[in-house]
Amino acid sequence: MEEFRHALEMLVTTSVVPAALGGLIWGMLGGATPGLSASITMALLLPFTYTLSPMPAIVMLATCYIGAEYGGSIPAILIRTPGTNASAATMLDGYEMNRQGRAGEALGLSLWSGVIGGLFGLTMLVLLTEPLSRLALLFRPTTYFGLGILGLSVIASLSSKSLLKGMGAALLGLMVATIGTDPVSGVSRFTFGVPDLLDGIQPLFVMVGLYAVTELMTRAGITPNLIKSNASIRVRFPRFRMMKKVARSQIIGCAVGTFEGLMPGAGGTIAAFIAYDQAKLWSKHPEEFGKGAEEGVAGPEAANNTVASTALIPLLSLGIPASNSAAVLLGGLLIHGLLPGPRLFEQNSDVILGLYTGTFVADIAQVIIGIMVLPVCVWLVNRPKPYRSAFILALVLSGVYTVHMSLFDVGIVLSAGLLGYFMKYFGFPFLPAVLGVVLGTKLIESNYRRSLVLSGGDFDIFFQDPIAVGFFVVAAIIMLGALYAEWRAAQQRKVSLA
Amino acid sequence: MRKDLVAAAILLCIAAAYYAASTTIPSSTLEDSVGPRGLPVVLAVLLAMVAIVIGVRALVTAPVSGEAAKDAEAPWPRAIGMLVIGALYIPVANFLGYWLTLVMLLLAVILYEGMKPSWRMLAVALGGATFFFLLFDVLLGVRVPEGMLF
Repeated sequence: MEEFRHALEMLVTTSVVPAALGGLIWGMLGGATPGLSASITMALLLPFTYTLSPMPAIVMLATCYIGAEYGGSIPAILIRTPGTNASAATMLDGYEMNRQGRAGEALGLSLWSGVIGGLFGLTMLVLLTEPLSRLALLFRPTTYFGLGILGLSVIASLSSKSLLKGMGAALLGLMVATIGTDPVSGVSRFTFGVPDLLDGIQPLFVMVGLYAVTELMTRAGITPNLIKSNASIRVRFPRFRMMKKVARSQIIGCAVGTFEGLMPGAGGTIAAFIAYDQAKLWSKHPEEFGKGAEEGVAGPEAANNTVASTALIPLLSLGIPASNSAAVLLGGLLIHGLLPGPRLFEQNSDVILGLYTGTFVADIAQVIIGIMVLPVCVWLVNRPKPYRSAFILALVLSGVYTVHMSLFDVGIVLSAGLLGYFMKYFGFPFLPAVLGVVLGTKLIESNYRRSLVLSGGDFDIFFQDPIAVGFFVVAAIIMLGALYAEWRAAQQRKVSLA
Repeated sequence: MRKDLVAAAILLCIAAAYYAASTTIPSSTLEDSVGPRGLPVVLAVLLAMVAIVIGVRALVTAPVSGEAAKDAEAPWPRAIGMLVIGALYIPVANFLGYWLTLVMLLLAVILYEGMKPSWRMLAVALGGATFFFLLFDVLLGVRVPEGMLF
C-alpha cells in the first residue's frame, strides 16, 4: 500500500509521466518507420538518455520499447511492411483487414490488444522480478561468474543457424570488452597509447553501431517498393462484442508472451508467431486466419506487448538480457551506474518504482497517444527512404557526440558499424557480440579473478558454490542442446540431399 | 560455403593480431594469478579454434542448395560508401563546424540513396540541419562540434 501511495506521488512530483510519454512517442515513431526495429529505435534514444537522471532515462527506454511494438504494427497493417520483426505476425491478418477496408479496425485491435498485453506483462513484472532478485542476495563472486557464463549461453538459443558463429560473435564482443583499463591490476590493455580508450568502449557505442549504422549500410541505395498509405485513416476501437470475440486469443498471447519473455533469446518475434499459431489452433474459426481474422491481429499484438514487460524480469533481477531490446535497456542501466540484481531494488528502489509507474502510464496512455501519433506515423511511413536514411545517420552521429562531446566516439560507432556489416555479411548474429561486450570484463572476468584471489588460486572455489554449479550445469545443458539440435538439422539436410 | 571459408580466415587473422597485441600488455606489481593477459590469451586461442572449426566445416560440408532468398542487401562497395560518408563527417565537422557539415551530410546521403538533385532536397537538408542544431545546441545545451572556419 505504501509503494502504491509512493507511485501515485511519483506521477506528480517526478518526471515519470513526461519521460513515459516521450519514450512512448519516440518508440511509436521509430517502430512505424520501416527499417527501424524496436532495438534500433531504443539504441537511437540511448545517447539522449545519457544526460538525464537515471529514473526518467530508464523509464524512457522501457516505454520506447512498448511504443515500438505498437508502432511496428502500423506499416505492417497499412503497407504490408512490418515496422518491427515482431509485427510480421500481425501483418498476416492486419493487412488483409486493410485490403477489406478495415484498416482502422485493425489498428484499433492492435492498440487494444497492446494495452491488454502491456498491463498483463506489467503485472507479471511486478510480481516476479523482486522475488527472483532476492535469490541474487546469496550471490558471491563465484556465483556472478557462473551467472555471466549462463548469460553467455544465451547465444545458443540465438544462433539457430550456426552455434559456432554465435560463439565467434560472443568472442569478438568479449575481445572488445577487454579494451581499456584492467579491472584488477589497473594496467591498460589494447589502448595503443590512445587516452580515449582508457575507459574502454561503452556498450552503448557498440549497440548503436551494430544495430543502426549496420542497417543503414546494408540498405544503402535500396529503395523498397512501398505501397502509399491513405493519410486519413482513423483508429476504430473494438466494440464490446469484438472485445469478447478476441479475448481468447489475447489470453493466449499474454500466456505465450509471459513464457517467451522469461526465456533467453526468445523475444517478441517468436512470441508473436507462437501466439498467432496457438490462437489459430484454439480458434472457433481457424479457416478465417490469413483472410483478415481479428484474432490473428489480437493474439500476436498481445504477445509482443507482454514480452515488452516480461523481458525485463530476467534483466532486472539477474542482469541477463534475453533479447536485443533488453540488451539496449541493460546498456541504459549501466550508463547510469545501475547494476541489475537485488541491490538495484534496495539502493535504487525509486528507479524501479518509477519504471513500474512509467510502464503503467505508457500502457494506458498508448490508447490516446496511439490515435494522436497515427497521422505522423503514416506521414513518416510515406517519406522517401533517402530522407529517412539521411536523418537517421544525422541523428546517430549527433546523438553519439552528446555522450562525451567527442568525435572520437563517433569514430568508435562507425567502426562498430563496419564490424556489424561484416558480421551480417558472413552470417554472424549481433546479440552474442553485444552480450560479450556487456558481460565481458564487468561480470565474467572481474568475478572470475576475484574468486581466484579469494581462494588463493584454487579452482575448487567454483565447485563449492552450489548456485554457481547450478548455473554452469544449466549453461552446459543449453549449449549441448543447441549442439544436438544443430547436428540433427545437419543430418536431416544430408538425408534430404540424398 | 566459400563465405564461411573467408570468414574463418578473417577470424583467424583477428585472433592472431589480438594475441600479438596481448603480448604487449605491460606487467604490474598488483597482478593476480590470472593477470591482465590471462583472458585475452584465452580469447585469442578460443577464437582461433572457432575459426578453424568453421573453416574445416565449410570444406567438408556440401553446399546447401535452394536456400531461402535473403532480403535485398546493398552490394559491399555501396555499403562501405555509406560508412565513408559518415566517416567524412568527423574531419569536415572539425573544419566547417556542426551546422554546415550536417547540411552536407544530409545532402550527401540523400543523393547517395539515389534521389535526383532538386531544390526541395536542398530545402530538406537546410531545414534538417537547422532542426538538429536547434535540438542539440539550443534545447539540449550540447556544445556541438565547432569548426576552424565556423
